[in-house]
Amino acid sequence: MEQLSDEDLDHTDGGEEDSDKEDQDLDKMFGAWLGELDKLTQSLDDGRPETVQKAPQKAPLRQETNMANFCNRFSMYNINEALNKGGEGVDLDSLMADLCSIEQELSTIGKPNSGKNRLGVPGDAKLRQKPPAGRGTKGHGGAGGSGGGTSSSGGTRRPLASNLDDITAQLEQASLSMDEAGRQSSHSLASSVGTVSEHAVRSISQSSWSSVNSASASSMDSLDSYLRPSEQDGATPTPQGSNQGPPGSTEVGQPVKNKHHCKYNPEREREREREMHSYLDWETSLILQNIAGKPSHLLTKEEQVAKKKAEKIRVALEKIKEAQVKKLVIRVHLSDESSKTMMVDERQTVRQVLDSLLDKSHCGYSPDWSLVETINELQMERIFEDHENLVDSLLNWTRDSQNRLMFIERIEKYALFKNPQNYLLGRKETCEMADRNKEALLEECFCGSSVSVPEMEGVLWLKEDGKKSWKKRYFLLRASGIYYVPKGKAKASRDLVCFLQLDHVNVYYGQDYRSKYKAPTDYCLALKHPQIQKKSQYIKYLCCDDVRTLHQWINGIRIAKYGKTLYVNYQEAMKRTEAAYDWSSLSSSSIKSGSSSSSLPESQSTHCSSDSGVAVSENNLSGHSRSQSQVSSIFSEAWKRGTQDEVPPVLTPSPYPVTCLY
Amino acid sequence: VGLGKVRSGRVSMAVWDLSVTVEDLGADAPPITVSVTSDLHIGGVILKLVEKSQVKRDWSDHALWWEQKQQWLLRTAWTLEKCGIQADAVLIFMAQHKSLRLGLPNGLTLRLRACFSGPVFRTVLGICKMLNIRRPEELSLLRPVEEKKRKKDKDLSEELHDLTEVPLTSVSRPCLYNGMPAHFADSLQTEKVYKMLSVSQPAPAPEAIAKLYRPASVVDKAHIHSRWLDSSRSLMQQGVQENDRLWLRFKYYCFHDLEPKYDVVRLTQMYEQARWAILLEDIDCTEEEMLLFGAIQYHINKLSLSEPQTMTSSPAMDDLDSALQGLEVKLDGAESSPQDMLENLTAPELNDYLKIFRPKRLTLKGYKQYWFKFKDASISYYKSKEESLGEPIQQINLKGCEAAPDVNVAGQKFCIKLLIPAPEGMNEVYLRCENEEQYSRWMAACRLASKGKSLADRLFQSEVQSILSFLAMQQTNPNTHTDDSMSINTHSLVSPRYSKKYKVKQLTPRILEAYQNVAQLSLTDALLRFLQIWQALPDFGISFVVVRFKGSRKDEVLGIAPNRLIRIDLGVGDVVKTWRYNNMRQWNVNWDIRQVAIEFDGNVNMAFSCVTADCKIVHEFIGGYIFMSTRSREQSDTLNEELFHKLTGGHEAL
Repeated sequence: MEQLSDEDLDHTDGGEEDSDKEDQDLDKMFGAWLGELDKLTQSLDDGRPETVQKAPQKAPLRQETNMANFCNRFSMYNINEALNKGGEGVDLDSLMADLCSIEQELSTIGKPNSGKNRLGVPGDAKLRQKPPAGRGTKGHGGAGGSGGGTSSSGGTRRPLASNLDDITAQLEQASLSMDEAGRQSSHSLASSVGTVSEHAVRSISQSSWSSVNSASASSMDSLDSYLRPSEQDGATPTPQGSNQGPPGSTEVGQPVKNKHHCKYNPEREREREREMHSYLDWETSLILQNIAGKPSHLLTKEEQVAKKKAEKIRVALEKIKEAQVKKLVIRVHLSDESSKTMMVDERQTVRQVLDSLLDKSHCGYSPDWSLVETINELQMERIFEDHENLVDSLLNWTRDSQNRLMFIERIEKYALFKNPQNYLLGRKETCEMADRNKEALLEECFCGSSVSVPEMEGVLWLKEDGKKSWKKRYFLLRASGIYYVPKGKAKASRDLVCFLQLDHVNVYYGQDYRSKYKAPTDYCLALKHPQIQKKSQYIKYLCCDDVRTLHQWINGIRIAKYGKTLYVNYQEAMKRTEAAYDWSSLSSSSIKSGSSSSSLPESQSTHCSSDSGVAVSENNLSGHSRSQSQVSSIFSEAWKRGTQDEVPPVLTPSPYPVTCLY
Repeated sequence: VGLGKVRSGRVSMAVWDLSVTVEDLGADAPPITVSVTSDLHIGGVILKLVEKSQVKRDWSDHALWWEQKQQWLLRTAWTLEKCGIQADAVLIFMAQHKSLRLGLPNGLTLRLRACFSGPVFRTVLGICKMLNIRRPEELSLLRPVEEKKRKKDKDLSEELHDLTEVPLTSVSRPCLYNGMPAHFADSLQTEKVYKMLSVSQPAPAPEAIAKLYRPASVVDKAHIHSRWLDSSRSLMQQGVQENDRLWLRFKYYCFHDLEPKYDVVRLTQMYEQARWAILLEDIDCTEEEMLLFGAIQYHINKLSLSEPQTMTSSPAMDDLDSALQGLEVKLDGAESSPQDMLENLTAPELNDYLKIFRPKRLTLKGYKQYWFKFKDASISYYKSKEESLGEPIQQINLKGCEAAPDVNVAGQKFCIKLLIPAPEGMNEVYLRCENEEQYSRWMAACRLASKGKSLADRLFQSEVQSILSFLAMQQTNPNTHTDDSMSINTHSLVSPRYSKKYKVKQLTPRILEAYQNVAQLSLTDALLRFLQIWQALPDFGISFVVVRFKGSRKDEVLGIAPNRLIRIDLGVGDVVKTWRYNNMRQWNVNWDIRQVAIEFDGNVNMAFSCVTADCKIVHEFIGGYIFMSTRSREQSDTLNEELFHKLTGGHEAL
């Protein structure tokens, strides 16, 4: 396997030639120069006595940690990882210093040690080493006119005080200097990107670089957010007034924080709200609770102070978080064998990534657009759920993975919600259902106090461990997992044997297991921990008699595993689709109001109680001579709760004859 | 007398004597006779009666009960003639509210005053209002299962919690005072009752569980449902006497609008009902589910005992303090530059000599000792402490791993079984600790790491504590019988079937394993989780009735669920057919032949007669569930009582 680390600085061109056709891609470029960067940092670090990793000589005896080397798997590279040394705080000073020195050395060093091991770079202790304080500034001079002169730890710092005001002040200070640091690093990043690309990726012309750059900037919020973490403060004069960013860094608009805000759903917003208050002291939070919803001009002075305080702390903490966000460059394959490269940040859900892909690709909105993970080695694939975190899922791939991420329309993704009757009722045959009944069914299944898992049960084929033989077992799906009936027992709950609990496994579609594992049919599913990437006894294979059963089981397992989240995902996806439709259609406003209400079953106002009240009285009027209670068909309408007319229900005769059966 | 009436026409009515027993004068007191005419209205009769009794008191709650017809005469404007009362009527003048012994879902009994004259639905409304249970339409009353008279003579006087003194007028508005409704805050005694209502009960002794009645078959379960009282008739009408025992239970299993903030009592009683349904095998579950139920029960018991009765304490408030302290720590230090500050965010470490064993390697070497370091969600180990500055022998990242206990306190075995995912499969690793204390720290660290959290997480200490306290449970040391109320026999957390199947020392580790996943839940979350798992059981919410379908020669079982009817084969227990209320067009009850007929979409008809329960009960279940489904989130607090009666009332309502 070709590894970037084996390439020398001068071989970058060669590397491009013998890798695949998309070498001009952004990821490659980043990968290339960051690879160099790593090597260089390593070589620099090697000189230090404290260095923990003397890579080639003494590698760990066994490398079980697949997290340690995730950075350069599948041709994606975590820039921030390399720069920010992972999840444990950002040492921006040292980072900048590193960058600068790298830059210097880039121009002077001929061939770095080619035997260097690039494993374990991101989390490495070496990056935690603080460089000598002077280096940053010194190196910076050559870096192309950034505001490097201002040290990030600058600014006056009060001695620690115990009361909250002082802490707030401290935090403000901290956040300010963080801003500075961020600004500097962003700038220095930009500039060193320029430099590095000139030196290391000489084959890429300046124009292509800039086009890549602009493309990424326009399409990826995340890139924006990373490169310009601090516009807000940069744009507004700070009390210290000291560190206006260099012009280059202020050119971009919105701070990413705001962008993300508008994407969050209300529920998450509320959670954030709660989180937001969680770092305040008791008193302040009490005040805040009291003033929630109060117009600001009615607040007392004390309350206003409390509010400001809270806001400041929040902003400060958010900035700290912001600075720690990881980004990945990923390649997404399309159905026409082409591919796109994009950057995702670790907070992005699959939905957000899909949205940005849809924005870019102009392929028409449909809720069926999916990101599909295909694991070639195991011949299985899975549609990522919209709420999943894409980066987390991709980090499970191995370094030399053949896995692919597909951007493709898949009707299976939400077929469950389009025809719930085929999945939720445990029926053997497909059937039609009126839309309002579908909605009622979905609401009943997903919007109650608990989600009801469809009663899936039946004979499936189970592949025996390590063999290519399959045996029949009677399986049942419950919310707590998949069970089977042991031989010679009835299927009473108490006798069931737990086959698998679903917390730690995902369900995959198997591909062509008939030839790979001699499966009885082509309709196979596999269950495994997402981190398992190779053949293992811990992967369970099941085979169904027909494709319908397969889809029912897979969807049943999804419901058992994700519950209501699935439905929320679907509603969200539908909302996007409708919004897109609105934009394209002329009569947007009317459709908008109608469609958005229908996509949210729980927000529908139900007139059913009054409906059926009417029905009953009507029923009473018709009179019953015998001792019979008649409940008219309209009760079933009440159950269905379909109506959402704005007009009050009209007294209409029941569409079904009210008959006496006796 | 009758002739006089005819002769005098409409002008003058004949006067006749009506004798009425006044209950409050005692059983032996003779009835009071008042002179009435047929056009005297009931109110007038009462007025005369009160005058003649010469007892001065508040009679406002009293009304006339007509013994022969078993009905109340509540319409005071109606004349005797209109009511059909003649001189031979046996009337009793008595209070409409009488005391009732009410068995709660948690197994305790309350004595309280309930309405004996209104429909049971209204009575339940009143009871729930007093007990501060929202959504009373989901509950109803049923006659208790007769207890076997094994201890005839002993007749241990059950503890009664008296609420009869609570004045009914004060119940009208449940405003909270001191964390409880104002009418409970009146006396220490009622405060105690409220605590009993709103805090789950300690685990019962395993023997006590074994002694209680358990339905052995689906037919037994069906018999329980024949005990529900008719919601549209009053208690008196159904033969319930003063001081009788009734059970208050959740009857309709669709819990609307559950809001822990307002539903403390409702939630607690719901949990108790669920808990007992599981302990008494009223609802079937798998072994894994039972163990998880056991673990959550243990957790809830522990929290209920330890948590001070400040209901308002929310975990968010704890967060505030710890987060603020955290901030202070972070900002501490002489030069708090951003680097320092951020470096302080990094996690602390654990360092210890532990033993490791990897069963995969097929060697018989067993456990080998190394110097272990836990940092940043991963474990590294070294030959010795001295070499810990160098390269580790191995580093194991724990994110996404499963950490299971393998503990035997008596045998002083404290192992952590780690199942670590890797691209090649799962790696099994055992870590052996020296003692409880070390084990609890490493186990807590592993568990946090598996969820991607670091040691710096504030959960670490509480995780350590909960592991320690659970280990303490296993210390079977009868000599040191301290006041440690935490020690629970794990047999009291599972149904008798599992008590028989497993010994305590087999059961405890398994519950411990399940407990790991719930140990961090708050009390409310634990209650909700328990209910959620209960509700997710396939048999949840199904009320059984033995019926005979039209055209069938054998008894079958009809399961009535919140959203569907299920036809179940009595012999095999298989589901024969399911009908959903969604598709229901109408249903009819023929009260003469006591048969229920239902029509579904697509001309599907079915009819059955009820064997174990009255068809009114089945009718009420179906109508009740349809009523429940009409409740919407918007009109949250209005209860359409009229609709309920229309849907469930049967011929009385028409």
